[in-house]
Amino acid sequence: MPNEFLSRGVTRRAVLGGMAGAAALSIAGRAFAAGGEAPALAQLVKDGKLPPLTERLPKKPMVVTPFEKVGTYGGTLRRGLRGSSDHNGILRMVGNQSLVRWNLEFTAVQPNLAERWEVSDDATQFTFHLIEGVRWSDGQPFTADDIVFAIEDCVKNTELYSATPSQLSVAGKPVTVEKIDDYTVKFTFAAPNALYLENLATPLGQHPTLFPKHYCSQFLPKYNPNIEADAKKAGVTSWTELFRSRCGDIEIPTRWGNVDKPTLDPWVVKEPYVGGATRVVMARNPYFWQVDTAGNQLPYIDEINFGISQDVESLMLNVISGKIDIQERHISVLANKPTLSQNMQKGDYRLLTLVPSASQQCQIYFNITHKDPALRKMFADKSFRQALSIGINRQELIDIVYFGQSEPYQAGPRPTHPWYHEKYARQFTEYDVDKAGAMLDQAGYKKGPDGFRLRPDGQKVFFSVDVIPTLYPDLVDALELVKTHWSQIGIDMKVNTIERALYYTRGDDNAHDAQVWPGPGGLDPMLDPRDFFAFHPQGSRYAIPWTLWYTSNGARGEEPPESQKKRMKLFDEARSTADLDKRGAIMKQIFDIAAEEFETVGLCLAVGGFGIIRNNLRNVPEKQPDSWSWPNPGPAMPQQFTFTS
Amino acid sequence: MLVFIAKRLLWMIPSLFAVSFLAFVLIQLPPGDYVTTYIATLAASNEIVDQNTAAQLRERFGLDDPMLIQYFKWIWGILSRGDFGISFEWQQPVSDLIWERMALTLVLALSTLIVTWAIALPIGVFSAVRKYSIGDYFFTAFTFFGLAVPSFLLALVLMYVAAVEFGQDVGGLFSPQYENAPWSFAKMGDLFSHLWLPVIILAVSSTASLIRVMRANMLDELPKPYVTTARAKGLSEFRLLMKYPLMIALNPFISTIAWLLPNLISGSVVVAIVLNLPTAAPLLLQALMAQDMYLAGAFVLLICALTLIGSLISDILLALVDPRIRLE
Repeated sequence: MPNEFLSRGVTRRAVLGGMAGAAALSIAGRAFAAGGEAPALAQLVKDGKLPPLTERLPKKPMVVTPFEKVGTYGGTLRRGLRGSSDHNGILRMVGNQSLVRWNLEFTAVQPNLAERWEVSDDATQFTFHLIEGVRWSDGQPFTADDIVFAIEDCVKNTELYSATPSQLSVAGKPVTVEKIDDYTVKFTFAAPNALYLENLATPLGQHPTLFPKHYCSQFLPKYNPNIEADAKKAGVTSWTELFRSRCGDIEIPTRWGNVDKPTLDPWVVKEPYVGGATRVVMARNPYFWQVDTAGNQLPYIDEINFGISQDVESLMLNVISGKIDIQERHISVLANKPTLSQNMQKGDYRLLTLVPSASQQCQIYFNITHKDPALRKMFADKSFRQALSIGINRQELIDIVYFGQSEPYQAGPRPTHPWYHEKYARQFTEYDVDKAGAMLDQAGYKKGPDGFRLRPDGQKVFFSVDVIPTLYPDLVDALELVKTHWSQIGIDMKVNTIERALYYTRGDDNAHDAQVWPGPGGLDPMLDPRDFFAFHPQGSRYAIPWTLWYTSNGARGEEPPESQKKRMKLFDEARSTADLDKRGAIMKQIFDIAAEEFETVGLCLAVGGFGIIRNNLRNVPEKQPDSWSWPNPGPAMPQQFTFTS
Repeated sequence: MLVFIAKRLLWMIPSLFAVSFLAFVLIQLPPGDYVTTYIATLAASNEIVDQNTAAQLRERFGLDDPMLIQYFKWIWGILSRGDFGISFEWQQPVSDLIWERMALTLVLALSTLIVTWAIALPIGVFSAVRKYSIGDYFFTAFTFFGLAVPSFLLALVLMYVAAVEFGQDVGGLFSPQYENAPWSFAKMGDLFSHLWLPVIILAVSSTASLIRVMRANMLDELPKPYVTTARAKGLSEFRLLMKYPLMIALNPFISTIAWLLPNLISGSVVVAIVLNLPTAAPLLLQALMAQDMYLAGAFVLLICALTLIGSLISDILLALVDPRIRLE
C-alpha cells in the first residue's frame, strides 16, 4: 500500500488512530476550581478593568483535554493568508464555535455551545440546552434569545436573505426557532432533517451563534427605526449593506472586518481584514468559555497574526525561513513536498499530514446531458464511458504525476470509510487496450483511416475536457497522459485549459463536453454526494440540468431518468434517517445504482496534502482530516495549541 | 499658453468619460461576474457557498441589470457625490480603499523616477561623450544586464538571499509595528527605510533603457553645428553640454512623463506582488481577478486621470525646455 492510511477493512476510528484520544471534550462534572488565566488578563483584573475570572467564565465551563499536555500562556501564532477572498483562512483557524462540533476523527458530533440536546423520533425537532453563563467577547451573556434573534430576525428576514440558507430550510420551508427558557431553544423543521446535527458542525451551520442580539439588533429596522439614516451616514446605500458590513455572514470577508462585533471565538479581531490590509491580527477573547483540565482559561496563545501574502511563493519563503508557525492552506500541494521536507531543519518545523476527505483526485465528468444530440448520445452510452475508463493507464499516471502516492479508484467513500463500496470504487480501473477497443467497436465507434474512431454519423470522435490550470496544475498533467492513452484506442481529446470563471460559466450554461474536478465524498459522503447522483447544481458536472430539476422540485432543468430519481428519493430518505446503520444501508443502495450506471470516470484516490508545524508549537495533532466540512485546523482546537519556550 | 491649458483641461472631460466607459466594458468582458468568481475562488479550496446565498448575492449587487445601467449608476455616483461605489468583495466604500494605496503608489513611482533619472542621465551623457571608452562599454554591459533580468526574478532572488541567508524581513513597505499605525514622522522614516529595495529593483530595468535613449539622443546632438559654434566661441565643455545638447536630448524624457505613471503602476504589478507592497497594483489585480468592478473601475479611472494630467505637464515642460516648441 502506498499510503499507510489506506489499508482496507479498518474502521475510520482506528485509521486515524494517531488522533484518537486527542482533545476529548467534557463538561466539568466536578466542582470547578478556578484555575489560571493569562498574565495580561490577570493584570487587567488587578487594575479593575476586567471582572475576575470566575465572573467571566460559565459556572461549569467546557473542559478541553489538551492534545499532549497542559500548556503555558503567551506567544503570537503566525500564519498566512493570500490576498483577497481568503476570509475562510481565518474562519478555519478561529471561527469554529457552533452549537455542536466535530470530534477529531470526523466521525461524530460533540457538544460545544450546546452541552446536550434531544432529537424527536421523526428528526423534525431539535432541542438544544446551552451552557449556562457563556458570555460574548464584550462580556454580555449568550442566551437562547441570541439564537432566536439570529434565526428569526436575521436569517429569516427576506430583505437580508432573499432565500433562507439551505441548511435551515427543509421541504422549501424555513426552520422555526423558539425559546423554551434562557438556556433552551427548540428548532422545528417542516420535514425530517436527520443530518441537521452534522450540518450544524460544519462552517455553514454557524448561523445560530453568529449574531449577538445586543449588538446586531441596532442594524435591523425592527429594532432601530433610524436605520436608513444610519446607513447613509456610514456611506452605504441600504441598511442590509450596513448590517453585512457590521455583522458579516458566515463566509464573507466583512465577518472579520469589524473590531466591534462581539463573538464567541477564542480570539477576536484586533486589526481587521479589510480591503488593502497587509495583515490581520486576532487577540485573545477575555471571556472565552473553555478551560483546560487544570481549570486554566483558554486560549493559551495571546495573539494570532495572519500575514497577507499576495503570492504563494513568498508564503513558501516565509515557511522555510521559519516565519510561520502552522500552515497548510495554499502550500499543501504535492509539488511543494520536496521543498518543505528539505528545509525542515532550517525552518525548525515538522510536517503535518492531511488525510483527504475527498474521494477522487481527478473525476472526469462527461456531459451526459450535452446540448449536441450526437455528443449526448455518445457520452450517455455507458459502454463508451466504460471503454474509455479501461483505456486509461492509471498506474503510469499515478507514478508520473502523483509520485506513486495513490491507487486506481473510481468513486465513493474512501477505503477506510465504513461505507466503502468495493465495486463502485474499483470497477473498470484495469488497463486493457484490446478490450477497450473491442467495446468501442461494438458500441459503433469504428476506426477511421487515420486510426481515430468515427461516430455512427461519420464524424470523428472528438471532445474537449475543461480544466483550470491555475487551480489544479496536476490535473492538466494527468489529462495530458490520459490524452495519449486515449489516442491509443483511437479517441481524440483536447485538454482545454481555461480560466476558472469561464469554467464555471460553461458548466452553468451546460456548454461543456467534459470537465474535471476532484471528487468529494470520501470521508463525508452524506455532506457532499455530488458524484453519486445529480445533486449539486454546479458540482455534478455530468448532468447539470438534472440537478436543476432536483433542486427546483421539477420546476426547472430537465427530468432525469428513473435511476437518478430513485437515488434522489433514496438520498432524501437517508437524510431523514437518524439511525446511522439504517442510513448506511440506504446509502449502499445509492452506491449500488451509481456503480451500475457508471456516470463518472475516476482516475485515482485523492492524495493527501501537507503542512508544517513549528517545532516549538505543541498540542497540534499531526494528522488531520482535510475538509471544508471539518474546517482544518479548527476542530483540532487551536485554543489549546501552546508554545514551548 | 493659458488658453492652451484651459483647452486641454476641457478636453480631458470627454476623454475621461470615454476611458471610464471602456474600462468598465473591459472589466465586464470576461465570462461570469463577481459572484461566479467568488464561488470559483472558494471552490478552489473546496469550500462551498450555499446555493441560495449565491443567487441572492447576484440580486443584491445588481449584477442582473444591463451593463449600461450599471455604468450610469456608477458614474452618476462619482459625479453627484464623489461616491465610487461599494467594493463587492470588501463591502466597503471604494474611496476608503484606494486613496492610501494610490498615495503609496505615487511615493514609490516618484522615488523610482528620481532614482532612475539620477542614474540614467549622467551615465547616458557620459557614455555619449566618451563613446566606445571602457566606461561606455561597462555601462553598456550593465544596461543590457539590467534589461535582460526580469525585475520579479531580481526581487525573488534578493528576497531569498535576505530572508534565508541574513534572516531579514524584506516584504512590504513597513515594519510590523508601523503597519497599521497612523501616519507620523517615525512611520515616514520606516517607509523610506523599506522603500529602497523595491525602488532599486524597479529602477534597474528602466534605467537601462533610459541610458540607451539618452546616449543615442546625445550622439545625435553632439556633432551638430551649433555645438561646434558654441565650442568655437570658447564655452567650457561642461557648460556647453548642459546648456544646449542636454536640453534637446531631454525631450523624449519629458514627453514620456505622461506614460511614466501608468507604466510604473502596471510595470510594478509583479514586483509589488512578490514583495508584498501595499501599493495600488496588487489591489487592482485582485479586483480585476475577482471582477470587483467598481473597485477596479475606480483604479483604472484614476490611473487614466493621472495619465492625462501627466501628458499636460509634459506638454508644458516641453514648451519651457525646448526652444523649438511653441504652443501658440
